Amino acid sequence: MTRALPLALRRSLVFFWLLLLLLLALVLGVAMGAVSLPPGEVLQSLLGLKENPIVTEMRLPRVLGGMLVGAALGVAGASFQGLFRNPLADPYLMGSAAGAAFAVTLLASLLGGLAPAFAQHAIFQSLPLSATLFGFLGALSATFLTLVLAGGAARTGELVLAGVVVGSVLTGATTYLMLQDADRVRAVFAYTLGNLAFMGWPSVKAMVLFFLLALPPLLLLGRVLNALQLGEEVARSMGLPLEGLKLLLLLAASLLVAAAVAQAGIIGFVGLITPHLLRRLLDEDYRLLLPASALGGAALLTLADLLARTLTRPAELPVGVVTTLLGGPFFLYLMWRRRGRA
Amino acid sequence: MRRILVFLAALWALALAFPLTVTDDLGRTVTVKAPPKRIVTMLPSVTETVCALGACDRIVATDDYSDWPERVKALPKAGGLYNPNPEFIVSLKPDLVLVSKYGRLYETLERAGLTVYAVRTETYEDIFRTTRTLGRLLGLEAQAERLVAQIQREVYQEESRAAKAKTRPRVYYEIDPTPYTVGPESFIGVLIQKARGVNIISKELGLFPKIAPEFVVEKNPEVIVATYPGALETIRARPGWSRVKAVQTGRICVFTGGQDSLLSRPGPRVAQGLRLLVDCFHGR
Repeated sequence: MTRALPLALRRSLVFFWLLLLLLLALVLGVAMGAVSLPPGEVLQSLLGLKENPIVTEMRLPRVLGGMLVGAALGVAGASFQGLFRNPLADPYLMGSAAGAAFAVTLLASLLGGLAPAFAQHAIFQSLPLSATLFGFLGALSATFLTLVLAGGAARTGELVLAGVVVGSVLTGATTYLMLQDADRVRAVFAYTLGNLAFMGWPSVKAMVLFFLLALPPLLLLGRVLNALQLGEEVARSMGLPLEGLKLLLLLAASLLVAAAVAQAGIIGFVGLITPHLLRRLLDEDYRLLLPASALGGAALLTLADLLARTLTRPAELPVGVVTTLLGGPFFLYLMWRRRGRA
Repeated sequence: MRRILVFLAALWALALAFPLTVTDDLGRTVTVKAPPKRIVTMLPSVTETVCALGACDRIVATDDYSDWPERVKALPKAGGLYNPNPEFIVSLKPDLVLVSKYGRLYETLERAGLTVYAVRTETYEDIFRTTRTLGRLLGLEAQAERLVAQIQREVYQEESRAAKAKTRPRVYYEIDPTPYTVGPESFIGVLIQKARGVNIISKELGLFPKIAPEFVVEKNPEVIVATYPGALETIRARPGWSRVKAVQTGRICVFTGGQDSLLSRPGPRVAQGLRLLVDCFHGR
């Protein structure tokens, strides 16, 4: 139906629906939770008329933080898919997820033995906080290692290969560490399924900071990604300083992924399917696909987390399980429908 | 003369008891020809029980996590639940291997011709069932009855101490910072009840639910118990948790460095774990 509409109108409509969906996710996310609160009370505490830390200190930052994490994964997924010209690329392709998981596991096993010394250190005041820091360092280190092994960002094939190998090696090391310390397996395992449970205002602020750093270059590089889709030779012939731009793109996207992984653990599927859902609607124009993937990823993750914390309330499901269990079949349905139409 | 008779009677009873055929906790039939002299234990709680039965010197190796009593620390280690070392176990030529009902270690060891008994130790009742079973297997039935009676007496002492308390605090128990907690029907859940605490988690949520933080804040527990390093700082730093009564009054009990084993292992030291909880809920 939308195909018949003029190009500009169709594209505006996509963004209109995305914003509406995001707004819906925001409202539902703040209104609903493990504890039932009347809508009036939620509104009052949002307006500061009535104090309720469940709304202002827990739900609102969790929803906003989840949105930022989802947006980071969505935009990073779109960037990597465009950069590698590979629809299978996901935000964790550069080894960032494995790096973060390894670092967090390492921290957990260190804490097992050195707990008193660590606990006194200001940086390690709390496990979520220190896990965040460690996860971030792990994700960034793994990305850099991948870049070094691939000899820079020039050769795309080697980059993918190096990323996969770095990821596998780190995953192996993580498994080894987990086996050494069976007591902490549950916490580390939970981290690898994603967790938005303790998103507070500090997490939101951290994510905003990383977005301010990484989003502008990514949005500006949409044009480069468009050129890359025609092949590297064509892009080079257009006079683009390709090596430098690719490196910039990789760094910016990796920074976003690292920040997301550090705040929320490893959440699968959002970064893979969001760009796919929007790709055709926006005619693979990366100038639009990047911001749309940010909005879509934000809405998707917020809604997935809403399900994760309400389906079995007051118990919670790991959010990564929800994104995969719901996202997977939905994605297959879309594929099936498209094939039927073709 | 009477002593000799008693001794002979005991020997005769032993001779009659063996070979002993029993059904283990996986439903397998296990035959033990004579009282085992070379035992490998692959579960910390089972190691503790065997030692509490006075048969510590029959253990030739344990799993990596067995650390009580002190003397088992010096024994060779044969791996853990996920990474056992079957070749090493076989090389020790044990006449009985006690394994967890989880994992497939028993298959490998059985094929190697060893006698393997799979144990389930998860609930409070399992402590006494396992103690009696091990008593039979080791030919120490009288000791097992004495040990059961002793554990029950110790538990009763702590229960009656808790019964004197005027109030029953609302309790939230956190086993890791995800946060995972415990349901009332888990082993720890039963201990919380025996220590006269009221678990804020209902039994419908299962044994080890991942709980929504806002639910804990809403339930406003008076006491929080946590069993991982750094728990105090972790819990205090959480968004919104400064409103929780236990956080405000500082009633957060953190048990680590061996104390957590008392609470997580259904074994002969259960009363010591219970004492930790009674002290935490009601003061010393």
